[in-house]
Amino acid sequence: MWTQTQRTLLDTILDELVPPSNDGTIPGAGSLGVADFLPTADAYAPNPVEATQAVMTALGDSFVELTRPEKVAALHLIETQQPDAFATLVRLTYMGYYSRPDTRPLFGVGAHPVHPQGYPVPREDEALMDELTAPVRARGKVYRDAK
Amino acid sequence: MQNEPVDVLIIGAGASGAATAWSLLETRMRILCLEQGPHLEDKDYPSRDDGYELARYGNFSCDPNVRGLKQDYPINADDSCITPVNFNAVGGSTINFLGHWPRMKPSDFRTLSLDGVGADWPLDYDTLAPFYDMNDRNTGVSGLGGNPAYPDYAPELPPIPIGKLGQTLAKGFNAKGYHWWPSDVSILSQDHDGRHKCVNAGTCDLGCAAGAKGGTNFTYWPMLENAGVELRSECRVREILVDQLTGFATGVLYHGADGQLHEQKAELVVVACNGVGTPRLLLNSKSKAFPDGLANRNGMVGKNLMFHPLTGVTGVFGEPMLGHEGPMACSILSQEFYETDSTRDFVRGYGLHSGRSTTPMTFALGGYGIDSPIPWGAEHRETMDNVYPYLAGLTVVSEDLPEEQNCVTLDPDMTDSDGIPAPKITYRLGENTRKMLRHGEERAKEILLAAGAKKVLSKADDKVWWRAGWHQMGTCRMGDDPTTSVVNGWGRSHDVKNLFIVDGSIFPTAGAVNPTSTIQAMSLYIGDRIKTNIETLFE
Repeated sequence: MWTQTQRTLLDTILDELVPPSNDGTIPGAGSLGVADFLPTADAYAPNPVEATQAVMTALGDSFVELTRPEKVAALHLIETQQPDAFATLVRLTYMGYYSRPDTRPLFGVGAHPVHPQGYPVPREDEALMDELTAPVRARGKVYRDAK
Repeated sequence: MQNEPVDVLIIGAGASGAATAWSLLETRMRILCLEQGPHLEDKDYPSRDDGYELARYGNFSCDPNVRGLKQDYPINADDSCITPVNFNAVGGSTINFLGHWPRMKPSDFRTLSLDGVGADWPLDYDTLAPFYDMNDRNTGVSGLGGNPAYPDYAPELPPIPIGKLGQTLAKGFNAKGYHWWPSDVSILSQDHDGRHKCVNAGTCDLGCAAGAKGGTNFTYWPMLENAGVELRSECRVREILVDQLTGFATGVLYHGADGQLHEQKAELVVVACNGVGTPRLLLNSKSKAFPDGLANRNGMVGKNLMFHPLTGVTGVFGEPMLGHEGPMACSILSQEFYETDSTRDFVRGYGLHSGRSTTPMTFALGGYGIDSPIPWGAEHRETMDNVYPYLAGLTVVSEDLPEEQNCVTLDPDMTDSDGIPAPKITYRLGENTRKMLRHGEERAKEILLAAGAKKVLSKADDKVWWRAGWHQMGTCRMGDDPTTSVVNGWGRSHDVKNLFIVDGSIFPTAGAVNPTSTIQAMSLYIGDRIKTNIETLFE
């Protein structure tokens, strides 16, 4: 889908939208390959490639040469100048990034599809529930009769 | 194309249509249900896919305007601060509802007498209580008995786990001396009646692939189809037909799964399309006898639309809250501020719902039902790493009051895929509701801090959640006075004696609780009244 030059530019943009963690344990959206998701995302936004290309064209190939602060400033400028295309790219970047099973565990969420496995959440035992609800029960009725 | 006539034709296979069919089973009448959506198969549930969250923004969105599937009808909500959400399939919106199951309270049925607002219902809590119980048995309800916010009743199954998040917030409510209680849910806390218990997937809005949630596709419909009720899916009713001489409904015209227009005759027609779909169908059923729409001689069809406007407040805690684990909307519920208190600047009240937090993508995109992505860049990294895992929130669910200008009409231009005019929503937030939401936000902040939140996040504006139109009520209200209501005290149209409405549209007032439990109890009540009055039903 993307030429090598486009891919380099797009990965650089994506790594600014969702940057890696400072310690490198959490990858950014570019290095994780979210660029591959964007052309497949037409179920979630009209013309995802068009929006992406609009942002890329506005930033130009020289974007990759900028310093981090310069990149951020350039992105803010495009966000103002092309709000719809930029918003679409941001939204799809989040979708592409967080829909990956390998991303979810980085935020404490299981990599697995949630069915059939789900999560083991034990039910509170009766003693704990009694203790927690005791003050509520002690107050008594908190609804109005309607007679 | 004509079909064999039936005794009872039910339009809509969701919460109310299914419960009504069940109630009428014992009459041995021939019952047919037409449903515009398909039967879902196991493979259709996105929670079995690796990228399950994506479905929330595509073909399993709660918003029909986002899904845009053939069975969906578009809704023009340009003149509303809340857009209706739903699902169209066998099971209706119980496919993607969240299973929260509180009952309405005695005062909810008497708001005019008690508080001088809204309207009194033609029946009271005590009349409906046995039908709540009956419906709970059919559905499978988990919860903790002894809730001091209600007359005594006890859910059949033990409560679902409230989890770390619920336990934490409960301590905050206790510190403030406020009511809270584990949520009643139509979600199985243990295997029950041949169905499997909840696996705490946390994605109830994507349909319950486990079958643990009380969607009528898992509860009523298997029983009904086994008992011989005919269910025709992918059949969209175009209009209800009327005998111009007698004024009785004779049946419907519908677009079948074969793409053809069919006529279906029936002795009795039951409309179960909820608070937007039902007035839409009646307004589209124009004839010489009913030029402004069926059952609409007094012009009340579509008026008094009520939602439950929502806002949310979130606390950031010192340790992970694991909010993605467990039924999505249901942990604990406070009804401390539910009843009218003359010291406040509003009447009626609201609930404070502790939903669980959501999955990473949905949080990054602004939260469930909200289109407002969190910032990109360094702030994104900071928010996802150091805020998201530590969240627990409270949702303020307010009672809406009926106002005639809040309404469903027909859009002059927009249609569904069969060319049937789409509904248009005109809705603004009442001042009483605004005051209630502000009050709720302030209380929620106090509770979160009392529960140990390090900081509280709240919105900078007073907008309510956009996709909060799950609960659609009031647009064909019930009442004893034919000049101010569409149906009588047991769901029969004042104008058309063999036409019944059984869904949330008949609610005169909204309460401040999720309505499905009450919708189904009302459906069973209406079914009971039909059976009781069968000899004189059409007089």
